[in-house]
Amino acid sequence: MGELIRLEGIVKSFEDTVVLNGIDLSVDENEFVTLLGPSGCGKTTTLRIIAGFEKPDEGRVYFEGKDITDMPANQRPVNTVFQNYALFPHMTVGENIAFSLRVKNRPESEIKKKVANALKLVNLKGFENRRIDRLSGGQQQRIAMARAIVNEPRVLLLDEPLGALDLKLRQEMEYELVRLKKELGITFIYITHDQEEALTMSDKVVVMNEGYIQQEGTPQQIYDEPVNAFVADFIGDSNILSGQMVDEKVVRIDGIDYPCIDGREEGFPPRRRVDVVIRPEDIDIVPYGEGLWNGTIISKLFIGVHYEMLVQSEHGKVEWLLQNYDQHDVGEKIGMYVDPENIQIMHKPKSEAEHAIELDL
Amino acid sequence: MKKVLGRIYILIIMLFLYLPIFALIVLSFNESKSMSVWGGFSLRWYQELFRSRIMMGAIANTFSIAILAALIATIVGTMAVLGMAAMKPRAQNVLLGLNNIPMLNADIVTGIALMLFFLMVRAPRGYMTILFSHATFCIPYVILSVRPRVNKNTDRLFEAALDLGASERYAFRKIVLPELRPGIMSGFLLSFTMSVDDFIITYFTRGAGINTISTLIYSEVKVGIRPSLFALSTIIFVVALVVLLTVNYRRDKAEKIRSAKPAL
Repeated sequence: MGELIRLEGIVKSFEDTVVLNGIDLSVDENEFVTLLGPSGCGKTTTLRIIAGFEKPDEGRVYFEGKDITDMPANQRPVNTVFQNYALFPHMTVGENIAFSLRVKNRPESEIKKKVANALKLVNLKGFENRRIDRLSGGQQQRIAMARAIVNEPRVLLLDEPLGALDLKLRQEMEYELVRLKKELGITFIYITHDQEEALTMSDKVVVMNEGYIQQEGTPQQIYDEPVNAFVADFIGDSNILSGQMVDEKVVRIDGIDYPCIDGREEGFPPRRRVDVVIRPEDIDIVPYGEGLWNGTIISKLFIGVHYEMLVQSEHGKVEWLLQNYDQHDVGEKIGMYVDPENIQIMHKPKSEAEHAIELDL
Repeated sequence: MKKVLGRIYILIIMLFLYLPIFALIVLSFNESKSMSVWGGFSLRWYQELFRSRIMMGAIANTFSIAILAALIATIVGTMAVLGMAAMKPRAQNVLLGLNNIPMLNADIVTGIALMLFFLMVRAPRGYMTILFSHATFCIPYVILSVRPRVNKNTDRLFEAALDLGASERYAFRKIVLPELRPGIMSGFLLSFTMSVDDFIITYFTRGAGINTISTLIYSEVKVGIRPSLFALSTIIFVVALVVLLTVNYRRDKAEKIRSAKPAL
């Protein structure tokens, strides 16, 4: 699997606002890459630069090693599934899907076959003559997919394609997308602000904020080893705390010393101030006094599979978020324990921009 | 009781609106030239209408000017809208403001202004000056009816077409233009109606010896209206009525077909 698309030092501003601050990104052939971030983080602009709708102020875009920065959108071997589908309202479903083939003057017999095929791929066989405005949101979404893939692009760009669908349909479409990707064997670059979508479908997740790439990695890496407080907070629930290394592989949080697995070698020497992430499901409840630290349960919520509890530490000021399958009562005093490997030590943000991000949380 | 009163009210409104037109239609079939004496049914005035070169000329002028002016205004106005769409919001607002002035302006001011302009550039006043004036006052209406069709959505569709490999020209022709078509059509029809309807501006910008229906009627009022004008008015009214009814009927039918299809 070779590299298919590479972005190098992409900078882009609109008017006076810098939207992208030097984006470097590499996408491999046949990879499912998700750009994940809150609205305004620059993910859509990145996609539009790859599609050719925007020109970067600085930096280059490469496709299979060829510089395509100045190539117009209609010549790029990529197709897009737009956020609001952008289906042509005055055309039927069939005409919509056939559009890119008609542009290329393909023979009608081939067009007919390919359109039928694309419709079959998205499970809407026989929809050729339907009107666009008679379709449901989910169907329109599938038609948008069919229209984008009928021409067999090398890369499919998807701009929050599931954003307008309800939860159930969205989850269904997630499976569909993964299946489609497998059947087509092409590269997907997917944009979303929904961390669940990103974690479920992607081979690689790229977390963005404020025009910077915060972290790049497999869904597992992003979830288990967030590099900073922003990523930790954006992906899943977490306890994000300020701490200080007090010894080799020992971090002090809120007055308690915790053994961890990061030390000098990982760049966290003693006395270094750090951010610490502990996922709420990684905190075990043990009898009072038998854990690393103690606290009192101050609230409890049942959310489907598990209980979510807030626990006031009795050593300091921190309120801990816990998720547990067992029920405990409000007011109960408990002990808590966390495995050293579940304590994720992160560097404090250095630049002002990064600092501002943290304050935002 | 309330219902009955409401019906009577509507009846009165209808009477006020249509009784004069009805009287005019009846008089157009009156053998006698008098407006108060019924001389029996006759098509005499219709014959006179179709034989009169002055009247036929005025009719030809009115409708050819209306069609041409509407065409010119539609093309210029649509291009203006597309040009404006590429401008910064502030420039767009200024232009839109300027666009509203001719519409709010009294016709007589526009008419005199255009007349003075033609005198200044020494343009011989006649068919061309009327056409030019009509195209001018129609453009703002076209801009107003086409502009709402050009929005974020058309941008997106245009981009989607480019994304699928279309050239900009092809994308515009196949995707953007069909999106604008309803606005363009209503702009054209509005212009056509405004042009046929206009008297004041035509009056000030026409030369001697050229008449449209409205200026012809005006000049005839001075010497006494001939019933052949009633005949002309009747024909125009009937044509308008038939057009309106067919359009409405066809729209109803289209709606029915659309809603009859099962939604899936």
